[in-house]
Amino acid sequence: MSLQLVFDALSLGGIYAIAALGIALIFGVMKLVNFAHGQFIACAVFALILPTADAVAVLGLGALPAVLLIPAIIGFGAGLAVLAEALVFRPLRHASPVALMVGSFALGVALQNLLLVLYGGRPKAISLWPDLGQPVQIGAAQVPLLQLIVIGAVALILGALALMLKRSRLGLEMRAAAEDFGMARLLGVRANRVISGAFALSGALAAVVALVLVAQTGVADVRMGGQIMLVAFIATVVGGMGSLPGAVAAGMALGAASALLQAFLPDAARPFRDAFLYALVILVLLFRPQGIFASASAKPRV
Amino acid sequence: MLTSHQIRRRMAATTPVLLALLLLAFVLMAVTLGDRAAARMASETLIRVTLVVGFWIFAGNSGVISFGHAAFACVGAYVSAWTTLQPGMKATLLPGLPEAIADAHWPVLAGAGLAGTIAAALALVTGAAILRLSGIAASIATFAFLAMINTIWSNWTPITGGTSSVVGLERYVTPWVALGWAVAALIAASVYGASASGLALRASREDEVAAAASGIDRYRHRLLAFTLSAFFCGVGGALMGHFIGVINPDGFYLSLTFLMLAMLVVGGIGSLSGAVIGVLAVSVTVELLVRLEKGVTFGATTFALPPGSQEILIAIAMILVLVFRPAGLLAGREIMLPARWVTGRSIPKE
Amino acid sequence: MMAKLGVHDLSVRYGKLTAISDLSFTVAEGERLFISGPNGAGKSSLLGAISGAVRAAHGRIEMDGDILSGLSPEGIARRGLSMVPEGRRIFRGLTVQENLLVGTGLRRDRAAVGDDLETVYQAFPILRERAHANAGALSGGQQQMLAISRALMTNPKLMLVDEPSLGLAPKVVDEVYDHLCALQALRGLTLVIVEQSSARAARVGGRMILMRGGRIVADGDAATFAADDLLSEAYFGDPA
Repeated sequence: MSLQLVFDALSLGGIYAIAALGIALIFGVMKLVNFAHGQFIACAVFALILPTADAVAVLGLGALPAVLLIPAIIGFGAGLAVLAEALVFRPLRHASPVALMVGSFALGVALQNLLLVLYGGRPKAISLWPDLGQPVQIGAAQVPLLQLIVIGAVALILGALALMLKRSRLGLEMRAAAEDFGMARLLGVRANRVISGAFALSGALAAVVALVLVAQTGVADVRMGGQIMLVAFIATVVGGMGSLPGAVAAGMALGAASALLQAFLPDAARPFRDAFLYALVILVLLFRPQGIFASASAKPRV
Repeated sequence: MLTSHQIRRRMAATTPVLLALLLLAFVLMAVTLGDRAAARMASETLIRVTLVVGFWIFAGNSGVISFGHAAFACVGAYVSAWTTLQPGMKATLLPGLPEAIADAHWPVLAGAGLAGTIAAALALVTGAAILRLSGIAASIATFAFLAMINTIWSNWTPITGGTSSVVGLERYVTPWVALGWAVAALIAASVYGASASGLALRASREDEVAAAASGIDRYRHRLLAFTLSAFFCGVGGALMGHFIGVINPDGFYLSLTFLMLAMLVVGGIGSLSGAVIGVLAVSVTVELLVRLEKGVTFGATTFALPPGSQEILIAIAMILVLVFRPAGLLAGREIMLPARWVTGRSIPKE
Repeated sequence: MMAKLGVHDLSVRYGKLTAISDLSFTVAEGERLFISGPNGAGKSSLLGAISGAVRAAHGRIEMDGDILSGLSPEGIARRGLSMVPEGRRIFRGLTVQENLLVGTGLRRDRAAVGDDLETVYQAFPILRERAHANAGALSGGQQQMLAISRALMTNPKLMLVDEPSLGLAPKVVDEVYDHLCALQALRGLTLVIVEQSSARAARVGGRMILMRGGRIVADGDAATFAADDLLSEAYFGDPA
């Protein structure tokens, strides 16, 4: 029971952390709270299937073997985000953070309705990797194979991202730009390269979330990115806006809190799990308005 | 002899009057010249004026974008339904209501008043927590609040009916009822805007540091604006319910949030006139697009936009406004009478 | 000979406020130019306009005869101009060495980066000692050395330095200028330094431009300004 809970918390927290990183990366570099992130996730989900209004999905990209499918969807997510940046956010480069946020909200609405036009509004069943539902015996706990894969993948991604930010040229430039964009440019750091890079990474992370969601739920729904985006937002606020380690830690904490609420709330209250979660966060922020894992002035560090 | 300050105050006082006249003209035109659909559109638009002007009281004065105001509309709509529905109806639809509410059968105006009051009370409580956050983080928290209300309303089936709709609300909202509330919202907004609290809040929006140095307690003013703002959004939600006769939590979620935000951005968040003009401009555009989605026949061919394209086009228009006219159509200006009309002569130079 | 830097009829405005109006001057290759003047004279706006961080209302800025106006800050940096900004603006969350490497992405001579890093560390042993510590933990003087070194790591031909003495003890300021002059001699740099104290400029030596109200009011050898230091103090008086 308790071991099972640990796996639930880790896999849910891992996904929240990946989503929160996707938000925090972009916020760090250009102070944009990206309300379209949930729709990046939804678009990556629908990229798996062919446009149709039928209830049963016909796999498009999703029919590829996993070794091709995963890079293809991640590439799709990255490409979509880079395209969105070029079309919507580049013209808004000098706008206020509020205008950027409102613009991203509008972009999200446009993308969601584009999916509605192309695919219709009904959720669709997708059977992607059905074998991953098989339980694996670990100690006393029965853990779905998918959950183990998710936990492993999250660890791998976090490690790779940390390494990339710490060791690569682009990572260095992104961290410098996140602290002081103007100064970085004075040192020859190309604004477009850094921002496109941040969007590409963010879109790739959105695609990862999309793959996990589809594998977990077996459904494609236009609204499916919304809830996880909200949790990711909350994680970035709780983690201290723009702090990457803060976002990861807060995402993990929210996942754990969710798993605990799910396990220990009385049955009648379970549908309200997320409401409890949000209320909890608002309460926490009442006492620490600057976030939990970072002070308001803290800069992103990896 | 009037000082220039007094003249400006008089000029500012003409703004709600002119806007009210504009809305009156809009209603008259729709009712006398248009078809039934036009009259419906007029009611709907005037309800949105109530909502968006309410929204503006907070967002316009504080400069903080809220994603939570649709939640106040949601609460308002349900409070009005709880108090005004036939008790027999409630027994079947909402069996979990406490007895006092289940037996209530209030007049609609009292229902609307309570809708606003409960929404305001909720705003006072949640605002006390949310508004401590800095601007962007506060916006995110309002979004969490919206999701929280939606989650609760979608699942609290005995009280709210859950995701199935509550039907049978008395459909009393004519264009004139909607106009009445819209004008009330306009008056409240301009009175608040001219009040010491409104001035202080706008000063803190323009220059946070200077405002703090001059001893402005931004948090308190934000909270006051948030609460007043929620009152009219609560009323607006009640009106929405009694206009269509059916309510559902998802009717007060992201689409409504988007629509309210789009109206404010298109008109310009910097002025009350901007909020009103934004509602009119977007509503008329939406109406045209909805008719296009239903299909328009040119001779032998019927041309129809696919459903959903309305939102896409509004969203694109919103982004274009943000890029090319970031302050909105009115660019922060108010519609007001010129100085010589209020004084009989021109404004003195200082 | 072609001027290293040429500023012609430059104006900078912020809304209705004019920060710089119709300013012109040139700087020769290898020269050391001090820009002095009271607060609000437009010194920082001038450096901002040259580096591309501030958009000019009109006028032309040239480096080696190429027009810089309209280029992005990174585009200008890539042509060999580097900036040590007011307040130093080091990346506090990055390590000292990472700070030094941020600006090396624009260099084509990647192989020389290691040598330059070694040179910096030899000039400032404290930076080597703290290479892997967060830059935010350095003292003010050390941060100034880091900001200068960071600018040098881009291998610039022209370096703009904004108020290097701000907030530092006089002894530390001496050190900063000693290093700047040594580096200039070593590399054949052209230096443009904003320095509020004309006495300091005179002691270091070089040409000096005096600005006030967005215009140049005097241009000459810094040493001669120092002679009538009192006069210029009186002349500046209270800018209000």
